[in-house]
Amino acid sequence: MKNLNVFGIFILGAALLAAGCHRKPASLTPIPGMEAPPQPQTQTGGIGSGAAVNPEMPVTTERTPEGIGLNANGKYNELINGPHDEDRDKFKADTVYFEFDKSAIKPSEEGKLQDVANYFKNNTSDALRVEGNCDERGTEKYNLALGERRALSVREYLANLGVDPQRIGTISYGFSKPVESGHNEAAWAKNRRGDLVLITPKK
Amino acid sequence: MKTPNRTLLAATLLAALSFQAGAQPVIEITKQTTHLIPVSITGFTGEVESVLRFDLSVLGIEASDPAEYIISGKNDGQVEGSLTQAGVARPIFLRAYVGGSARSQAHAFANDIARELRQTSPIFQTKIAFRLSRGGSTEVGMSDYDGYNLVVLTHDNALVEAPSWFPGGRALLYTSWMTRNSVQIFEHSLATGARRLFAGYPGLNCSAEVSPDGRKAALILSKGGSPNLYVCDSDGGHLKQLTHTRDEDSSPCWSADSREICFVCRSGRAVLQKISADGGSPVPLHVSGVYGNQTAPDWSPDGGKIAFTAGSGNFSICVVPAGGGEAERLVAGEDPCWAPNSRTLIFTQRRSGKKVLCLLDVPTKHVKDVRQISGSCSEPSWAR
Repeated sequence: MKNLNVFGIFILGAALLAAGCHRKPASLTPIPGMEAPPQPQTQTGGIGSGAAVNPEMPVTTERTPEGIGLNANGKYNELINGPHDEDRDKFKADTVYFEFDKSAIKPSEEGKLQDVANYFKNNTSDALRVEGNCDERGTEKYNLALGERRALSVREYLANLGVDPQRIGTISYGFSKPVESGHNEAAWAKNRRGDLVLITPKK
Repeated sequence: MKTPNRTLLAATLLAALSFQAGAQPVIEITKQTTHLIPVSITGFTGEVESVLRFDLSVLGIEASDPAEYIISGKNDGQVEGSLTQAGVARPIFLRAYVGGSARSQAHAFANDIARELRQTSPIFQTKIAFRLSRGGSTEVGMSDYDGYNLVVLTHDNALVEAPSWFPGGRALLYTSWMTRNSVQIFEHSLATGARRLFAGYPGLNCSAEVSPDGRKAALILSKGGSPNLYVCDSDGGHLKQLTHTRDEDSSPCWSADSREICFVCRSGRAVLQKISADGGSPVPLHVSGVYGNQTAPDWSPDGGKIAFTAGSGNFSICVVPAGGGEAERLVAGEDPCWAPNSRTLIFTQRRSGKKVLCLLDVPTKHVKDVRQISGSCSEPSWAR
């Protein structure tokens, strides 16, 4: 240790000399200013400058092993991007509930979807948005994907009953829109759901 | 200009140690990594003292007796400080800091101490981004790594999720519901505040992560009929579908060499998989020692480890070797993200109805809360 100290002191001294600090043994470390970034151009509800829509929008209703493809130009998008009304109550009783960590349609929910399918057979100018939701027992990105998968399962089930899938849009809210705030199975069961929203042309 | 001297000095001292003590330094280095290092902190006041104590504590360097190192100095006008090994007369370094705020001077001093005592890259002047929920709205928040200097980046009064950084911190990507009828990914430049649509395909667009080399982005899209993993150029172009599973995929993250992506696949339960960014078949990551869902992975910047969340509801933060193996369960919490030093994790804990951000020193399992911000904070992303 003695040798080390002598050696260390020698090196330290040399370094301090090199740093030009003869009297005050402190080297100066300038701190670059940590600037706060400029505030974004606040455009509530808007995209902001430089917005560009991806050009390669697929136009397909293909059935693939993973499901039925979504279409940017289908009936749902046509309605939703134009003047339209949204009715959250029409299919309130038909809210589709799911098992924990599952996206398959339960037998108990099949009758609800048959009713919904019948409505669309008789109302061919209307469209449907399926909103997928999860309970709180998943991490956020996981719940977001699971909520979308649930919404897509509802869409696929309705398509199999004869509804044009391009009249059905999906959106996931993950766990951001619970209907029950409790931390128990009763609340979780109500939050694992697909809300069905009727979209009609503006009257 | 001063840094090379200091590095040279440290390297020379280390070389001298090795020469002197033979095999002993190996034990010394292991100890330095995993045990709490007791220090004394004297001479500082107010904000500078609290910043120093907090920063060092984040790396398991704690003020307690008997101190192995003495950190002393003053902060009248500017921060001056030295680090000295107990029982040794000469300091390891003695330095003064000019410019910036008192906080940033204290952070810079703490970085220098951490470099000596933990041999890790500096993290105390880095930024984090996260999801900030207040009342009914969620926005993207950005702050210093310790929660100070909060900037709310969005004012959309809409849902937003999963902010993630471009390497170097020039911009963020995040998932936003701002158009109400669609869930899209936006790129937000921090220099200009301008933003543009990054991915706006039919269906879900979410969870984009730019590769460490800045050339590619991994993201989740549902346009094919199920939420699957895609990769594109970092400007959003040249989109390619990587997975074709019926059950959803989620939460992609990149390997350090930007060649592989780790993500979550739900097949019965949620498991971690790896896939080449060029395509091919996904390979399950073998994880033993934990049960239940494995979600929210993040690959360490040094490439060696993957942190993830185990469980459903009762979440815990786990770390597994990147090649697979026994997972270590570290602490209660979810959604871990590595600091640039590949040692510290930031993650979320749920406490009485809200989410708070915490810092974890992985080798010592030491946890510190990030400064409390009103509202609920989650999905932290560390600029690196």
